[in-house]
Amino acid sequence: MAAKSLYSCMRSAQTTLFVSGSCTLRSLLPSSVTCVQQVRHRRYPAFIVRPSIRKPWHVRKWTTKSDGDLIASNEAFVKDVLIDKYTGVGKVESPLKDGPWERNPFVHGTRRTGVLALKLGTTEQYTKEGNVFTVTLLQVLDNHVINYVPPEVYATYPSHRPHQGEKFGLQIVGALSCDPRMFSKAYNNLFMKAGVPPKRWLTRFLITPNAAVQPGTPLCVNHFRVGDHVDVQSRTRDWGFQGVIKRWGMKGMPASHGVTKSHRKMGSTGGGGDKGGIWRGKHMPGIMGNRLSVQHNLKIWRINTKYNILYVTGPAIAGLPHTFVRVSDTLIPTRRIKEEDAGNLPMPTWYPEDETEPIPEELFDEQLFRFTDPSVEITS
Amino acid sequence: MSLRLLVCIPSRFGCLSCQHDSTCSCDAAKKTHHVINYQRTQTEILQALRPKSNFLLSNVVDKHRLSPLQQGTEAVAVETETTAPRDYRFVMPEFLPNADYRYRDRVLEKLERQDMLRRRAVIDIPEFYVGSIMAVCVSDPHAPGKRNRFVGICIDRSGQGLRAHFVLRNVVDGLGVEVMYKMYNPTVLSVEVLKLEKRLDDQLYYLRNCPLEYSTFDFNMDPVILPRGSQVPVNPIKVKLNPKPWEYRWERFNLKGIEPISLTPKMIKGIEKSAEPWRQNDLMMMYRSQVHEEEETEIMAEVYKEKHRIDSQKKTSRAAQRKNK
Repeated sequence: MAAKSLYSCMRSAQTTLFVSGSCTLRSLLPSSVTCVQQVRHRRYPAFIVRPSIRKPWHVRKWTTKSDGDLIASNEAFVKDVLIDKYTGVGKVESPLKDGPWERNPFVHGTRRTGVLALKLGTTEQYTKEGNVFTVTLLQVLDNHVINYVPPEVYATYPSHRPHQGEKFGLQIVGALSCDPRMFSKAYNNLFMKAGVPPKRWLTRFLITPNAAVQPGTPLCVNHFRVGDHVDVQSRTRDWGFQGVIKRWGMKGMPASHGVTKSHRKMGSTGGGGDKGGIWRGKHMPGIMGNRLSVQHNLKIWRINTKYNILYVTGPAIAGLPHTFVRVSDTLIPTRRIKEEDAGNLPMPTWYPEDETEPIPEELFDEQLFRFTDPSVEITS
Repeated sequence: MSLRLLVCIPSRFGCLSCQHDSTCSCDAAKKTHHVINYQRTQTEILQALRPKSNFLLSNVVDKHRLSPLQQGTEAVAVETETTAPRDYRFVMPEFLPNADYRYRDRVLEKLERQDMLRRRAVIDIPEFYVGSIMAVCVSDPHAPGKRNRFVGICIDRSGQGLRAHFVLRNVVDGLGVEVMYKMYNPTVLSVEVLKLEKRLDDQLYYLRNCPLEYSTFDFNMDPVILPRGSQVPVNPIKVKLNPKPWEYRWERFNLKGIEPISLTPKMIKGIEKSAEPWRQNDLMMMYRSQVHEEEETEIMAEVYKEKHRIDSQKKTSRAAQRKNK
């Protein structure tokens, strides 16, 4: 709790800074946080560049250190050692050796972990009636569970939100194994317990404790069923600093008729009188994109188990191809997985030992047209 | 000493431990992490505002797919045994992917090709070009007999992968009609080529501004059969454009299939203004606007092999049917 209280007092100190402007140091301390004078307009800094605001508990990821100029044979030897370390005989200690964790049935209110996928692009599919629609392909590539944090531990974390209570734990999932030499020591240490190579991307899912997955477990596309609905979260394309026409779709001003130097400007910023001044939230130029966007309630139409592909409805998943997306069971109440439908749901995730028969390469939704079928004949 | 842990307070507010002002030079004042620096230099600001790529390039993703550390996902197999004929990409251009490298993905293209070839095994989509006269039969809930057959000249063919389509044009009751058909739509029941030929241009949208006789074709036309092994004939017909107004400024497109237009000074000025002669010399633009030759041969070899297999399968099944009769 110590870390949390310290963080909260830091935050309050910072907010005071903006309120009281140039103040003495004494007033920053938690003992004298009371702000006496009311301030009309909150002062904002000239620049807030979002990506520079790092969470204090994040460790540095990349490293600039390198082995120098290794000759080709030495480089190959180091690579062989690394591969052997994670896949071969001298494998690192994996927590899976201790035997699997207890598996619980799916009950009402259970939240399972999600997966990290790569957006590949969009294509078209047809329904059995011959109607065309767009699908996005998501590849679940090289996913592993890195850690599980139980709810009582998560409640002491600075990132914990009080309204969540002690209901949810954290499941940390990583994707795309990399050469550990790319990363800093602190980042590599995060993967020691799980016994997997360091991952290019890490994320966390809020889960209920009955759906916890053991660290070191690989996740694959069979975690989901065809016909279920998922929520997909990804970052939008980064456009950098953009003007109002591109960022907010404003009209600008005419190209001629006496207009000079303001063809792409925004015009008026507000009215006068009692409610005068620039209102908060006024659409202005600034950094556009690179923010999280969620698409709720997307149906899984088709699954390819060979290449680990999900065919998800719609073209609306944000980002260019090869963006990382977080895919998890939908939270929309009407589409959420119900206890009575959860008979063949992999819980907490899919294990290859569960399958008695080899799983088919492709799984289709009932309403989806398969290209091996004959043409659609309309009779009625 | 616990005050030293207040890491979020910017250094410009001074040192915490010694109660000095911001000019203090003791160690505690320098130990400030995670500070939002509002007083950046111009280069730092520009660096921070620059668009950052929050996606991976396709070559990095391919490296991950082939990495020995990766398990559970198969890599895409590359066809090396067979080689397709050299001009095969003109026969089936829709199998070539989008040339923009940001939208390329090996797995997506492979899966799309798989679906396309599956559909081609069910219905016969013959070789055709812009300028060929075709007949397409689709199932249509609003047509009598729930089927609709349309005959026309192919005026455009484009789209990649499962999005491939072509446009047919004909005259029905004195009115020009154009219909766009998706090639892999399951409601398409049959595609026939009545007369296989090419025209001088890649798109024939200028037929909209020509007399209707150039785009009138008989719905009960008999198919013209070419002798076996002959090349696809090119129709050198030059159509006559109607007087203005036109759909587009056709004089600017350097069209070969229309009769010479009498140019006005204004038209000549427009042609000069819209001309982009540097495109011929921009090697980088040309390189980026098309799929590389090695990749093209890989893709076309796979398509050729699969097409060959489908054709031979159909032949044997037809022979078996004849025997049973």
